Amino acid sequence: MTKSADTHCPYCALQCAMTLTSPAALAPASQPGSVPVSAPPAAGRPGLGTPGQAPLEVSGRDFPTNRGGLCRKGWTSAALLNHPGRITEPLLKGADGVHRPISWDHALDLAASAVKAARARHGRDSVGVFGGGGLTNEKAYMLGKFARLALGTSRIDYNGRFCMSSAAAAGMRAFGVDRGLPFPLDALDTASTILMLGSNVAETMPPFVQHLKGTRDAGGLVVVDPRRSATAAFTADGGGLHLQPLPGTDLALLLGISHVVIHENLVDTTYLEERTSGYSAVARSVNSFWPERVQSITGVPAELIRETARRLAEGARKGGSYILTGRGVEQHVDGTDTATAAINLSLLLGLPGSARSGYGTLTGQGNGQGGREHGQKADQLPGYRKITDPAARAHVAKVWGVPENLIPGPGLPAVQLLQSLGKPDGVRCLFVHASNIVVASPDANAVINGLRSLDFLMVCDFFMSETAAEADLILPVLQWAEEEGTLTNLEGRVLRRRRALTPPAGARSELWIMARLAEALEAPSTYSEDPETVFEELRLASAGGLADYSGIDYAMLDRGEAAYWPYPSGSNGTPRLFQNKFAHADGKAVMTPVTPRRRRTPAGTPVGDATAPGAKTMTLITGRLLEHYQSGAQTRRVAELLEARPEARLQLHPAAAAAMGITEGVLVSVANERGEVLCRAELSTAIRPDTVFLPFHFPELESANRLTEAATDPISGMPEFKFNKVWVRPAATPVSTNVLQTTEAS
Amino acid sequence: MSEQVVIVGFGPVAARLVDELLPAVRSGSLNLTVVGAEAEAAYNRVLVADLGVGRTTADALALSDADALAAEGVDVRLGVRVRRVDRARQQVLLSDGAVAHYDRLVFATGSRPVIPNLTGINPDPTSPVLPAGVTALRDLRDAEVLRQAVDGGKRVVVLGGGVLGLETALAAAEEGATVTVVHNGPHPLGRNIDRGGGAVLAASLRRCGVRMAGNARSTGVEHNGADGGFSALLLDDGSAIDGDLLVISCGVRPRTELAEGCGLSTSAGILVDHRLRAHHEPHIFAVGDCAEVRCPDPDCARCRNAKGPSGLVGPGWRQAEWLAEYLTLLASAAPAAAELLPELPAEQAGVIVLKARGMNMAVAGDNTAEPWDEEILTAGAVNGRPRLQIAQWADPEHGRYVKMTTRGGVLEGIVAVGMPRTAAELVGLFERGAELPADRSLLLRLDGPDQLPGSAADPQGTVCRCAGVSGAVIAGAVEEGCSTVAEVSKATRAGTGCGGCHEDIKGLIEKHFQAVSTSSPAAPNLPGPDRRPAIERVEACALTQEPLE
Repeated sequence: MTKSADTHCPYCALQCAMTLTSPAALAPASQPGSVPVSAPPAAGRPGLGTPGQAPLEVSGRDFPTNRGGLCRKGWTSAALLNHPGRITEPLLKGADGVHRPISWDHALDLAASAVKAARARHGRDSVGVFGGGGLTNEKAYMLGKFARLALGTSRIDYNGRFCMSSAAAAGMRAFGVDRGLPFPLDALDTASTILMLGSNVAETMPPFVQHLKGTRDAGGLVVVDPRRSATAAFTADGGGLHLQPLPGTDLALLLGISHVVIHENLVDTTYLEERTSGYSAVARSVNSFWPERVQSITGVPAELIRETARRLAEGARKGGSYILTGRGVEQHVDGTDTATAAINLSLLLGLPGSARSGYGTLTGQGNGQGGREHGQKADQLPGYRKITDPAARAHVAKVWGVPENLIPGPGLPAVQLLQSLGKPDGVRCLFVHASNIVVASPDANAVINGLRSLDFLMVCDFFMSETAAEADLILPVLQWAEEEGTLTNLEGRVLRRRRALTPPAGARSELWIMARLAEALEAPSTYSEDPETVFEELRLASAGGLADYSGIDYAMLDRGEAAYWPYPSGSNGTPRLFQNKFAHADGKAVMTPVTPRRRRTPAGTPVGDATAPGAKTMTLITGRLLEHYQSGAQTRRVAELLEARPEARLQLHPAAAAAMGITEGVLVSVANERGEVLCRAELSTAIRPDTVFLPFHFPELESANRLTEAATDPISGMPEFKFNKVWVRPAATPVSTNVLQTTEAS
Repeated sequence: MSEQVVIVGFGPVAARLVDELLPAVRSGSLNLTVVGAEAEAAYNRVLVADLGVGRTTADALALSDADALAAEGVDVRLGVRVRRVDRARQQVLLSDGAVAHYDRLVFATGSRPVIPNLTGINPDPTSPVLPAGVTALRDLRDAEVLRQAVDGGKRVVVLGGGVLGLETALAAAEEGATVTVVHNGPHPLGRNIDRGGGAVLAASLRRCGVRMAGNARSTGVEHNGADGGFSALLLDDGSAIDGDLLVISCGVRPRTELAEGCGLSTSAGILVDHRLRAHHEPHIFAVGDCAEVRCPDPDCARCRNAKGPSGLVGPGWRQAEWLAEYLTLLASAAPAAAELLPELPAEQAGVIVLKARGMNMAVAGDNTAEPWDEEILTAGAVNGRPRLQIAQWADPEHGRYVKMTTRGGVLEGIVAVGMPRTAAELVGLFERGAELPADRSLLLRLDGPDQLPGSAADPQGTVCRCAGVSGAVIAGAVEEGCSTVAEVSKATRAGTGCGGCHEDIKGLIEKHFQAVSTSSPAAPNLPGPDRRPAIERVEACALTQEPLE
């Protein structure tokens, strides 16, 4: 067992550097900032240290992104390593609905048989795979290969469709490549102006906030958020500006800012001429969005719109200006166009590819960047290649040693994939990896019904997540501190994840599982279970692609080299993209005119007693809390985090609450035609009186995604997570309090 | 065979219609001809005043590119007028002698400025010949005239207290011209605003350097300028307002004469139904300023209170978007589907937002009722309909005024002067027909400095959000002997995330040691032998802190 390992946090894309140390190897309090992590007693594994204490100690490690800092989730991450709810044996659901342990041989037999049966009866595309942005690059790569060659299906997509797809599509369209931040994060440190749209980093990636300090001190932080979020509050006391558009009007706001840039002649004309195409069509399209008109649409005062444009232009001339987008503006049915509008604004000002300015999107999931590059997307092959591109297919087929026609064509994006579950021509047998779709998918009730109509559901997880609980077969896999691999952080920097702990005897890596299943299915090509071997194959497969990793190897990463892709063999990588050209054939960035095409208020149908007297219609927005990550499958199992945020609370304005007779902490019903959430109210003036906020980390009665709509962006397939109509009222039926207790793993 | 659509006029509304029809043009289901009288393709008329004061460029005003449209297959005819419409043959006859056939014809002829009857100005309303030094500020050439006056620091007289006149006056004054606004009535904006709002507005305009001449009736213009140009506006009391340029801003009137000439029904504008079809003529449509939506059905409830064209561009664009969809369906393989398209939704009362840099104003709806006019407030309150309610805030000394006229909590009128965020919020609520918070003062406070961190109640008094550490825990750690930020971080994890709370932690340490040093000379909790004053120690430890920031 390793005594100490330098690795990175298991959660978000900031991938804070941390060191994991076995307590035995520790001199007491020898490491600055390091704190013992408490965990529930009764560890299930021998040799994991004293009961009541995590098997490893976490300490922050100095690194350009987190500079030694960690948030509460990172500090407590080791508490899950000896959690009593850990699944350590394959589990099969019996006729009585109870999961019981079975052997690995039996489990793999069952899975292989289910695949063969589905194929025989319904064809190859009746087998589906749902991946996750938390998988290492090696596993994400192998999952794409496994699906296409071993399962022979086109039906693979992943939960990143719910996160990064809009920004990715916009980035591809404009720049020809999608790397979340095309510059190292610390480039923000010296910026004069940062425009941050729909991102609450103070809660979602707290150590990131260090990089905003210089801009806040210069008064140049401009935050766009309908809520007075913790990040928006940073603009107080001269830190900058907070723009509070009505939910669903971000696109118009961006067009308004662009209008000012053009009409006040703040454009960088030389840059536009030399480095972009499409300017005049964009200029014409924003012409009709003058600030006062945009004020009427968004509720943002015209003067603030002008001020924002001027600060961005001034910043570009001084220390630099950055425009950053997050899920708040991207998770909409017009998310791609909204991200495009942000990119157009940045191009008008000459930011992308300049020395001190730029545009970026803040990737959310741990490997949200790498996870969207190597083939677990429906339309993609490794190296960010298009599955429809004959040259790309030929290259990958050669690396895999198979004829090109063995690689299926494009599949279905996540929402459509999930909608096809159990349908006659849909997916009948589904494998789920690193994703808790029961909680994380839009219109979650419909997804649950879809899962229950499958012939066979297999879930790989280390806890009994809400999705695992639905599975016929659960295969126990490894946690982050138990495995080797690489991840690519929000800057496009490839990082090493290192093993610090021996996994439980019954748990296996997904790589091992895929290798065994491929064998059972007599699949062509090879499926190594060794991460480094897989990475070597990924290098070859990505060579020449947009996300080219061919020049990167484990030894280099272990030396601590800062490896930013594209990193072709023989190069030194690319910390800053676009310095000389963009990735389109002519080297220019493409500006595409976009215009709002959406309804002004969210649609919804009143059903049942949702519209009981006293119910008010509200716009629902969803998002995160500092204490929890994603569906909460992990963080709800950390005692300290659960104690801090034990349940979902509906944030609403005191004035709205007063009108409905709702007081702090009372139960409220939040409902629409898709479902109902019952939770307690939390009153806050940080939100508009006509809007409510729910965190999406909680299951069952508190599951925000029971209310969200599965309508999708026509380009990216991104669902509408942040603009839904709901009816809010005090809960009519008293709900016994234990229903509201977040369920711990059994 | 593809349908032939001809659009008469190429202003902002026609431009939107053309853009929205492009997919059908590309697909070949529709042939499109657009005929514009001006030499330029559509440009943003709303910003002509900005161009006139040098705040934008003619290039930036462009809404359409004739070459790009031609490349898409649109037949663009610029600098050409339609002389006559031959409905029997479904043809338009153009001023250059050409003839164009149509299956569907769309009038987008817009409006022309109203030229008041003044001595010294040709009274023909359809083709006024304005003397030198007089402009109605409607097109690019007018903007150029204003531009020269502003650049030369000349005296500009604006006739008319409507929103466009005020915008021109404010912009010209800010850019260095000497500007006088001459208007009827006691305050500008006439019936759009109430007395209180009007008074605050006029005062604000004066503060921005605009001279206001109210209750004025103009009778004529004097031409004693160089080259016989404008020199003064004459008023009915015998006085005169001297100037170098007269900008006439007395409203607009729909251009309907071409429609009248071919026998279509008109009132203020060309009469169209809820599908924008001219009355009793399925092949002809009208959109924008020239169109008046009032259907032939005398019992139509929606049309009972319908007003003429608003003169605002927003409704015209919504009409263009709707009509494009309708025409696309009509030209499609299944034209019957067009009739399934829901009718054009009724327009709400127009919202007027002053486009200006130095001041902020928004008005909408009916603002005539005052809070104490019991009769007016209860007048419409029959059959369970709630009465009008008025909430009002006046602070004329600071140029602030808000009035919210509501019925059943929903806005029927807004006046907001000098309150930008309140105005923005009220306009949004008005346009969505949304209910106001019962406590109306909430809306007034949006512009106040107390609208800051409104986060939820935090009984724990969290100091470090990242690690979730309360002030009490930190104080406890200090009690236990931690005397530097680094020590507190080590003991509690406070300050180990973003580092933003280091100052607060330092403050708590300071507070502790100050309390200790003042209350107890024995200082039993003071750690170690260090007897330096607390403040000094805190500063010292700040210097040796961990590199977290």
